[in-house]
Amino acid sequence: MDAVKRYFRSPAAVIGLVLLLIVLAMAISANWIYPREPLALAGRPLIWPFSNPRFLLGTDNSGRDIAAQIFYGARISLLIGGVATAIAIAIGILIGAFAGFYGGWVDNVLMRVTEAFQTLPNFVLLLVLVAVFGSTLTTVTIAVGVVSWPAPARLTRAEFLSLRNREFVQAGRTLGMRDLQLILGEILPNALPPVIVYASVIMAVAILLESALAFLRLSDPNVASWGNLIGLGRDVLRVQWYVSAIPGIAILVTVLAVSLVGQGLNDALNPRLKGR
Amino acid sequence: MDFSRLEINRRSALLTSAAIAANVINPMRAFAQETPRKGGVFNVHYGAEQRQLNPSIQASTGVYIISGKIQENLVDLDGNGQPVGVLAESWEASPDGKTVTFKLRKGITWHDGKPFTSADVEFTAMQMWKKILNYGSTLQLFLTSVDTPDPQTAIFHYERPMPLNLLLRALPDLGYISAKHLYESGDIRQNPTNLAPVGTGPFKFVKYERGQYIIADRNPDYWRPNAPYLDRIVWRVITDRAAAAAQMEAGELDYSPFSGLTISDMARLAKDKRFIVSTKGNEGNARTNTLEFNFRRKELSDIRVRRAIAHAINVPFFIDNFLGDFAKLGTGPIPSTSTDFYPGANTPQYPYDKAKAAALLDEAGYKPGAGGTRFSLRLLPAPWGEDISLWSTFIQQSLSEVGITVEIVRNDGGGFLKQVYDDHAFDLATGWHQYRNDPAVSTTVWYRSGQPKGAPWTNQWGWQDPAVDKTIDDAATEIDPVKRKALYAEFVKEVNTELPVWMPIEQIFVTVITAKARNHSNTPRWGSASWYDLWLSA
Amino acid sequence: MRILKLAGRRLAASIPTLILILVGIFLLLQFAPGDTVDAMMAQMGGGDAATAQELRRFYGLDLSIPLQLGHYLWRLVRLDLGFSSIYGKPVAEVILERLPPTILLMTASLSFAFFFGLVFGVIAARGVNKWPDTMISIAGLIFYATPSFWFGLMAIVVFSIYLQWLPAGGFEDIGAVQTGLWRTLDIARHLVLPTLTLGLIFLAIYLRIMRASMLEVLNLDYVRTARAKGLDETRIVTRHVLRNALLPMVTLIGLQAGTMLGGSVVVESVFSLPGLGRLAYESVVQRDLNTLLGIVFVSALLVIIVNFVVDLIYARLDPRIAAEG
Repeated sequence: MDAVKRYFRSPAAVIGLVLLLIVLAMAISANWIYPREPLALAGRPLIWPFSNPRFLLGTDNSGRDIAAQIFYGARISLLIGGVATAIAIAIGILIGAFAGFYGGWVDNVLMRVTEAFQTLPNFVLLLVLVAVFGSTLTTVTIAVGVVSWPAPARLTRAEFLSLRNREFVQAGRTLGMRDLQLILGEILPNALPPVIVYASVIMAVAILLESALAFLRLSDPNVASWGNLIGLGRDVLRVQWYVSAIPGIAILVTVLAVSLVGQGLNDALNPRLKGR
Repeated sequence: MDFSRLEINRRSALLTSAAIAANVINPMRAFAQETPRKGGVFNVHYGAEQRQLNPSIQASTGVYIISGKIQENLVDLDGNGQPVGVLAESWEASPDGKTVTFKLRKGITWHDGKPFTSADVEFTAMQMWKKILNYGSTLQLFLTSVDTPDPQTAIFHYERPMPLNLLLRALPDLGYISAKHLYESGDIRQNPTNLAPVGTGPFKFVKYERGQYIIADRNPDYWRPNAPYLDRIVWRVITDRAAAAAQMEAGELDYSPFSGLTISDMARLAKDKRFIVSTKGNEGNARTNTLEFNFRRKELSDIRVRRAIAHAINVPFFIDNFLGDFAKLGTGPIPSTSTDFYPGANTPQYPYDKAKAAALLDEAGYKPGAGGTRFSLRLLPAPWGEDISLWSTFIQQSLSEVGITVEIVRNDGGGFLKQVYDDHAFDLATGWHQYRNDPAVSTTVWYRSGQPKGAPWTNQWGWQDPAVDKTIDDAATEIDPVKRKALYAEFVKEVNTELPVWMPIEQIFVTVITAKARNHSNTPRWGSASWYDLWLSA
Repeated sequence: MRILKLAGRRLAASIPTLILILVGIFLLLQFAPGDTVDAMMAQMGGGDAATAQELRRFYGLDLSIPLQLGHYLWRLVRLDLGFSSIYGKPVAEVILERLPPTILLMTASLSFAFFFGLVFGVIAARGVNKWPDTMISIAGLIFYATPSFWFGLMAIVVFSIYLQWLPAGGFEDIGAVQTGLWRTLDIARHLVLPTLTLGLIFLAIYLRIMRASMLEVLNLDYVRTARAKGLDETRIVTRHVLRNALLPMVTLIGLQAGTMLGGSVVVESVFSLPGLGRLAYESVVQRDLNTLLGIVFVSALLVIIVNFVVDLIYARLDPRIAAEG
C-alpha cells in the first residue's frame, strides 16, 4: 500500500518502529534471558552497573537485578500502555459514536459527561480511583484507561458528526439498515483511522501516568515495573542515581518509540498534511 | 570572657545542691571548653504537617518537634534518662499509690503574660489529657480529680494505684500543660490556639504559614536564666526526603529529626564532616518493626506456621544489608534501650533456619503443592517508612523460598489502619510499634485482649490469652518497681513463646544535624525537648 | 457588556457538568477504605476507640451518605465550601492560601512553553528538513517523553547541589522575610526549576503544533501570493502567517489547563511548593472530602474560565468565528 511505502520513507518513523520492536523483543524474551523471578533477592543491594558481571545493570535497594526488571518491566509497560489505551479507545468510541450519530439530547448528555471528565484534572481523578480501588495492576490499568477516554470520544464524535450525513449512510438507511448496523458496519470503519493514530498519544500518556503513580508509591509493588523502580530509586537518588535513571531512560525510549510510530502513521495516512 | 566562666561555675554549684535539679544534667557541658554563643537561626526539617499543634491533646513527635519548644511539660527526661522537673519542682506519691502531689515552680508566666498556676494543670489534666489526648486517656483512665489547694500545688487523685515510675516516665510525652484561660470557653478541638500555641517555653510562637513554614522567636521572659541561646527557630515544611537532603547539603537546613532523610542519604551525610548523623538523643523514641499475624486465617492460627515464618526470615542479613548502622536485632516488644524494663535476650527467639521452617510447615500439614507453593498470604505494610517497605519486600522474598507466596497490598495511611485494625482484611501486616518509655503506655495494648474493633496498634489479631492478660493487668498496677520489672519480663517470655506479633528489629530514630550545633542530643527525647540550651557555633 | 452576558451564559451551561463532577467524586470517595479520622489516627501515631468515635461525630461522619451529600450540596448552593478536616479552617480560606503558588507556577510554565514553543516552532518550520529543524524536533520529542518528576529530581541534583545556582525547593526564602522587589525576585528564583520541569512536556507539544501549523499555513495560496509580490519573508511570517498559525496553539491552552493542574501534583511534591496540586494529593490521602471537592470545584472553574478566555482570543484572531458567536 502507498501508506506503508510512505511510512518507511520517513527515517524518524522507521527509528520509532525499530525501537518499539526492541522493547517488544525484550518483553517477549524476558523468560529466556532471565529465568529467575525478577523480584527475588539476587545479590547485595545497590551494586553499581558494569561492576559485577553477574549484574550488568547493577542491583536496586532491595537487592534485585535491575537488568531483569528492565526486561520484565517492558511487559508491564507495554501491557499497561496497550490495555489502558484499548479501554480508553473502546469507551471513547462507544460514547463518541452514539453522541455523534444520534445528536440531540443523547449528544447533550454524553457531552456533559465527557466535559466533566475533561474539566476534572485527570491525575486527581487517578489518585481518587487508586485510593478507592487499590493499587493492583488491574485497577491501575483500568484507572489509567478510565481517565483517558474523553479525547478519543471527542475525536470519534467529530468524525461521526461529519460522516453521518454522507451519501453512503443515507443509502444504507434507504436500504433499511438498522442504526446499530449503520454505526458499527458503515461509519465506524471510516471513522477509525484518526482515532487509531491518536492511540499512540494515549499510549504514551498512559505509560507516563503509570510511572507517575509508581513514583508516588501508588502502583502495584508485586510486579516488576519501570515506574516502581523509579519510585524505589527515589530513596537513593543522590548516590545510586542509576536505580532511577535506567528505568527512566527505558520509559523515555518506549514513549519516544510509540510517539514516532504514531507520528509516522499519521503522516503516512494523511500525506497532504505533511506540508513538504 | 571571665564573666561566662563565672556563670558556669555558679551553675555547677547549683547542680550539686540538695534541691531537685532545675536544669538538665548535661555531661557534655562539663567538657565544653567553648562559651555558648548567643544568637542565630536554627532551621529544622518538618516532614509531616500535623492538623494541629497542641501537645496536650495530641501525643506525637510530629507535634513535639514544634510545640515542645513553645509549651512545657510537668516533667522531662534528663541526660541519663531520669525524670527531672520542668514545670513541676518536686513530687510525692502516697504509699497506697492513689495520690500523687506535684509542687509547681513559682514565677512562671505564659507567653501572653498571665501567670502559670495549678489551675492550668487541673484544667489540662481533666479536660485534655483525660478526655482527648491519645494514650493520655488510657494513662489517666483512673484519674478522678485534681485538687489545687494553692497556686503551686496540684494533687492527682486516682481510683486505682498509679505506679509513680509509670507516671513519671509517661509525663514527658503525655504531660504538656496548656493555658486554662485560653481554652476554658468553647470547644477545645476548634480553638485557634491549637494552631498558634501559647506556652511557657523558651520560644514564642510567631507565625505558621500552612504548607511552608513555622517560626518561633526567643522568649525574653523565659524562667531559666540565660536561656535560650538561639534567636529564632524556623521549621520548614518539606515532604520529599530527597529534597530535604538536598536542602541540608545546600546549607538551608540545620537539622532533620526522626529519620527524616533516606537511609542512603543518612549514610552518605554521615561521612560528611559538616554533619553529625547518629541515634544519640533518640533513645527514648525506640521502635520495633512488627510482623502481625491474623489468626482468622487457619494457617496462621497454628503456632508452628507462625514460628516457621519467623525462622524463614534472615533478620541479621536484612539489617546488615538494608538498614545500615541504625538498626539492630530486636528480642521482643521491650527494646534494649529501656534500661528499666529490658528483660534481656533470654526469651524465646527465632533465628534464621530455612530447613527448620520447611520442616515446621510440613509438620503443620502444609506440604508444597504444584509449583512448590504451600499457600499464599496477603501482606499489608504500613506506608510510613522506607524501612517498612524494604522489610515487606524482604519478607516476600524470604517466604517465597519456603513455598509461601506473599502478595503485598499497598494502602495510604488511613486506608492501612482501616483495613488492618478495623476490617481485619489482612493475613500479615507490618508496621512500627512505638515504645514510649514504659510498656504500659503503648506496648501492652498490642497483646491485651478486649481492645475495641478499629483501635489502631492494638490486639486485633483474633487471638487472646487470659494468662497474658493477667500479667499485663498486674503489672499496670504494681507499685514496687522491682516486682513490676519482673512481671514485664514474664510478659515478654509469654508473648515471645506464643508469637501473636513478632518484633524482630529494633530501631532508634536517627538525627542528622549540623556539626555547628552544641548541646544537642543531650536527652533521650531530644527532638521533642525544649532546646533551651541549644546553641550554634560560628 | 456582551462579554459579561456570554460569560454568564457559559457559566450557566457549565453548571450541570460541575454538579456531575462533584457528586461523582463525593460518591467515589465514599468507597475508599478509611475515612478522615483513620487518616488522622495514622498521623497522630496512636489513639483509642473512644477518641475515634467522638471525632467521627465531630466531623459529621456518622450521618448517612445521602444526608452528607445533601448537606454538602446545600452548602455549595450558598457558596460555602465547608470546613477542612485537616486544617480546621474553612476550605475557601485554605484554597485561597494555596492558590497563588499554583497560579504562578501554571502561568509561568504556560508562558514558558507557549513562548519557546512558538519561537522554536517557527524556526523549525522556516528551516524545514534542515539541521535546525531536525535538532529542534528531536529535542522536542525527548522533552515529551521524559518523566517530569525524574527531570525535576535530576535538575535539583545538578543546579542546586553541584552548581548551587538555584534553591533546592520551597517557595521563598524564609530566613529573611522580604518585601517588594526583592521578594518578587526571590520567588522568581525559586520558581525557575519547577517552571522548567512542569513546562517541559507542554513545550514539546506546543513546538510540534506550532511547527505543523506554520507548515500548513506557509503553503497556502495567499502566502504564495505575498511571496510572489516580493514581500520580505519575515514580514510575511509576522503579519500574515502567525495570526492563523496561532489558532491551534490557543485552542490547546484551553485543553491543557486541566492537565497542567494534574502535573503540578508531582512537581509541587518534588520542589516542596505549597500549592493546590499537593493539597489535592494530601486531601485524597487524608480523606478530607470537603477540601478535595473544593479543589475540584475551583480547578473546574479555572478550566471553564480559561476556555472562555481562549474563545474570546480565538474570536479576535479569526473574525469569521466571532460572527458565529
